[in-house]
Amino acid sequence: MNFGSLALGLGFLLILIGFWGLLTQKNLIKIVIGFSVVDTGVHIIMVGIGYLQGRTAPILDAALMQRTAAAGNQAGASADVGSLIVDPVPQALVLTAIVIGLGITALLLAYVVRLHEQRQSLDISSYEDLKW
Amino acid sequence: MVDQLFFNPIYIIGIGLAAAFFLGFFHRGTLAPRIIMVAVTAAFTIISLAWMQAFLLQGQTAEHGQAAAQVFTAGFQPPFSINLRMGAEEAFLTLLINISGLLGGIYLLDTLKKMGSHAVSVFIILIMGMNGIIMTRDIFNLFVFMEIVSIAVAGLIVLQKETNSLAAGFKYMIAAGIISVFLLLGIILAYAVGGSLNIDFLTAADLPGAKAGMIALFFLVIALLLELKPFPANGWALDVYDAAPAGVSAILAAAGSAAAYYALVKILPLGSSSHYTLVAAAGAVTFLGSNLLGLKQHRGRRLLGYSSVGQVGLLLIILGFSEVLGAQRDYIAAGIILSHSLAKAILFWLAGMLKQDGLEAWAALRKKPILLILFGSAVFALVGFPPFPSFFAKWELILLLNGGRFYLWSAVILGASFLEAVYLFRWFGYALKMDNEKLAEPEAPLFRLLPPIVFGILLYGAGWYMGSILEGFANFSYIPLAFILFLALIDRLPAWIKNTVSIAGVTFYIIDLYPRLEGDLLRLIFAGIFLIGAVLTLLSGYYYKGRRAGFYPLALTMFAGLAVLIEAANLLEFFYGWELMTIGSYFLLIRGKKSMPHGYSYMLFSVGGSFAMLFGFSLAAAGAGSIAMSALTGVTVLPMLAYSLMLVGFLTKTASVGLHIWLPGAHGEAVADIHFMASAILLKAGVFGLITVLLGMGAEASYTGPILFVLGWIGALSALLGNISASFQESAKRLLAWSSIGQLGYIVFGLATMSHLGWLIAISYSVTHFLYKGILFLVIGGIALKLGTPYMYKMGGLIKRMPFSFLAVLIAIITLSGVPPLVGFAAKWITYNLIISEGIYYQGFIVLISGIVAFLYLFRMIYTMFLGQLKDNLRTVREINIWFLIPVYLLLAAIMVLSFFPNMLLRPVGEMLSGYFPDGAIAWTGTLGTTRLGYYDGGAIMYVIGGIFVAALLFFFSLRKRTQQVKQFNIFYSGEAPSRPELSHFSYNFFAHYQKAIGVLTLPLVTNFWNWLSGILHGTADFFRRIYTGNGQTYAYHLVLYIVVVFFLQRGGM
Repeated sequence: MNFGSLALGLGFLLILIGFWGLLTQKNLIKIVIGFSVVDTGVHIIMVGIGYLQGRTAPILDAALMQRTAAAGNQAGASADVGSLIVDPVPQALVLTAIVIGLGITALLLAYVVRLHEQRQSLDISSYEDLKW
Repeated sequence: MVDQLFFNPIYIIGIGLAAAFFLGFFHRGTLAPRIIMVAVTAAFTIISLAWMQAFLLQGQTAEHGQAAAQVFTAGFQPPFSINLRMGAEEAFLTLLINISGLLGGIYLLDTLKKMGSHAVSVFIILIMGMNGIIMTRDIFNLFVFMEIVSIAVAGLIVLQKETNSLAAGFKYMIAAGIISVFLLLGIILAYAVGGSLNIDFLTAADLPGAKAGMIALFFLVIALLLELKPFPANGWALDVYDAAPAGVSAILAAAGSAAAYYALVKILPLGSSSHYTLVAAAGAVTFLGSNLLGLKQHRGRRLLGYSSVGQVGLLLIILGFSEVLGAQRDYIAAGIILSHSLAKAILFWLAGMLKQDGLEAWAALRKKPILLILFGSAVFALVGFPPFPSFFAKWELILLLNGGRFYLWSAVILGASFLEAVYLFRWFGYALKMDNEKLAEPEAPLFRLLPPIVFGILLYGAGWYMGSILEGFANFSYIPLAFILFLALIDRLPAWIKNTVSIAGVTFYIIDLYPRLEGDLLRLIFAGIFLIGAVLTLLSGYYYKGRRAGFYPLALTMFAGLAVLIEAANLLEFFYGWELMTIGSYFLLIRGKKSMPHGYSYMLFSVGGSFAMLFGFSLAAAGAGSIAMSALTGVTVLPMLAYSLMLVGFLTKTASVGLHIWLPGAHGEAVADIHFMASAILLKAGVFGLITVLLGMGAEASYTGPILFVLGWIGALSALLGNISASFQESAKRLLAWSSIGQLGYIVFGLATMSHLGWLIAISYSVTHFLYKGILFLVIGGIALKLGTPYMYKMGGLIKRMPFSFLAVLIAIITLSGVPPLVGFAAKWITYNLIISEGIYYQGFIVLISGIVAFLYLFRMIYTMFLGQLKDNLRTVREINIWFLIPVYLLLAAIMVLSFFPNMLLRPVGEMLSGYFPDGAIAWTGTLGTTRLGYYDGGAIMYVIGGIFVAALLFFFSLRKRTQQVKQFNIFYSGEAPSRPELSHFSYNFFAHYQKAIGVLTLPLVTNFWNWLSGILHGTADFFRRIYTGNGQTYAYHLVLYIVVVFFLQRGGM
């Protein structure tokens, strides 16, 4: 079992746990935490999908160029630098997603604060005036 | 060519981000941030406008004109960078978003002032984010922009300090969070399979080919679908529409829906046809479900939420049927988006001006008529009436769907639209008629008034443009509509000036029209009824002293619609005219004091009827392959259904039994001259439609037998029930209204026989009914207006005070009852001939019976109103207004001429009909008409009866010295004290004895049926809307459940 599948499994587990929290907990803050856990699970899955066993970080420095040349000599042809590094795109995406997730979490907590100011309650069923 | 240096689309992103950043440096409450906001959104608008006009003027092709522009970022080509696209679609949608942003920002000026400069930056980011959703070609970038929009919306709501708004915002954020999770999963899976984030590269990568690709697509499509608030997983969205500041809701409905829709438009080509089906199915469920549940909603803002969700459902159906709709998909979608966005923004903006939110409270809009006009325009645009873009979109949509044999889908679309009409017109009726004395005037300073007015103008402009680019409508003449606009603009002038202008306009139109109709007698007759009728009714309009606000544009709208019916070159123009007439007549009928429920039911039957008609027309067009009027001949696709639906559509306007319940109230409550328009003229539009359809249908094909059989019975029963009910009315106006149902029954019966004589009856009845009913409506209406009551037991002895009215009524009812010598007898004589020669004894018997019943109510009317004792309070009453009598005596002259020379009408009509029905024509020699069964000479009968009448008159005159006058109090009650004053009047419950015998026939069975149906619909709505519990967690459940259910349905389908 490699790290990639482990990450995928862990990510799905986190998503399930998070949804459980989101859908069963009545406390507003716990709901927000549930969402956060789901989000983390998604991030781990994203990284897991981008991960490739045995490759290095996508930083194009002198060391990497040397390894590329060495790999080329071994195969008897010039090697592509892309075959030695993991795909940087999912990592860039995950960074962006983390930032956005943080923004959403912060806003959700801001809502919780405001709601608590209004009714001094953190129970989601206290806020059902709008319906039907 | 658009200069990319000045109008580069990426400036929208750049300017938006920069402005939002720098606004952080401003103090709270200063004016500068708001000025910057207006400037920035104006700049966005100008950029979109520059592109839009280039695409409009030059077209979107690679060789000529303006090509769609691709903007690359970071100096790389995709897939190594994010690119933006600016094509015609993007230009259109960003323009819509940016104008909404500009005007919505202006509308929110004082709200944003209270919230501070942070709110201003959030607002700018919101608009920028929506632009980004439209333009980006990168799925991850799409995700980012969607999150930006969600956060910005929630950010604007969190600045409100109200519990409901905060709760709504929280629910919204939870929903947006769940959606974003699935969107992210879809994106990363799509990247893993397709190796790119660029939409164009992914399209080429064939995602549906791989199993993981299918899962990726499922997540992407379901997330974007949920973003569009599909029923029933949309409770969170309703709350936001309901509780956000009205200006924010307006932007969400107008711009947000369009942006989310386009996101799905971009993603769907990645998938396979099963994804299109999924989207269409979700759309149908949403359109139907949301509009059904809206029925029970009694608060305006929330109802707008239901309606918005529903309209987006319609967009989803359109998107799902991309393949069927082909090149017309974007035209149809643009029509729906334009109508929905502009109308919904107007409605939310209006909602923001009102203090209370109950539907009844919208009556406050009447205090500022411009707001009421905007409300009406928006409602009619949402239901799909002309001249709005949705009218053309709906037409094309139904035509193409039925052309592709997707009958069930178009039935669902029309059914859901009808439900939407049910609540929208109820609401609009409240605004028009509810008591508004205790309501506060709407708060409408200029900056709040401007945005809806601009959108209102755009709505009409868009309607004009959409029509002008549609094949089949490009040649439509807008001159009558321009004339109506002119009348609307001079509405402040006194009524007599507008009346003169209107008469001049209609007369000019008649002179212009006549040469075009020469030789086409059928059209000429109906043009005569419609337009000469228009002049006569307008003539009576001089009675009105004062301004009569809004009357003339609407009356002329009805007449313009009728004229379009006559002149229509194809089915689309015909339908346009039909709907135009419906709008005008609705407003006329609802003008009466107690007309709210009746105008409402009139509208519902009209909308239902016109949808049936649209369905029938589309089937006809599907078979013929064209929308020319000739498509009605020999329909090949489901002919029985097509003809039945068209006939039902027209029977709603002739108020035939089953579809008649709107008429007695609507006509009975209308003012005199409107009653004339509605009854003598408007009902004939239905007859004209029936004639048009029946001429196309013929009687040869096997399916025509059952249709004509049913139609004949409908006609006969309408005649019977109309006349019997008329006999039991206390109000003279309602009596006449019921009588119209009966008279139209004769016409329908005649048409259904599909024979020469039958049609001769129908057409001659159309003319004579117009003549004598015109007289009766004007005189009776004039009397009711004069006395302030339509009840016959409050009248009596009026012959002494109103001799001219009496004479007119006498002659009219002699004509109506069909006794010799007047022209009505000619019609009756032909009826006898018809029944005997065609051998239709059962229906014929009923028709003859109802002719006898007509005597009852006519006798009752003239006797109780004009004869007997004059009441004390009526001793000084004077003759009715001279402006009523002038058209009355013109009509009377026409009756006399036709009575002496019935051949003047019957002969040319007969000759024309011989072209269609050669058998059984009447042979004419002078005024003598001969059939197989006998002969009839109108002139001779006139002389004979006239002679007898004069002789009898002279005899009675010679006896006058021996007459004894009965004094007013020379009556007694046999010791009974009447409990109610009207019981002491002999004319109250005049036909009590008949009522005991046959009153059972007038039980309101049909009314009860429709009430029962309405009760079931409302009950269902009330039951199912309880899924919206108000609990944010339940809504989260709905979302997750929706995804799971769709997933399994999709797997089962694959």
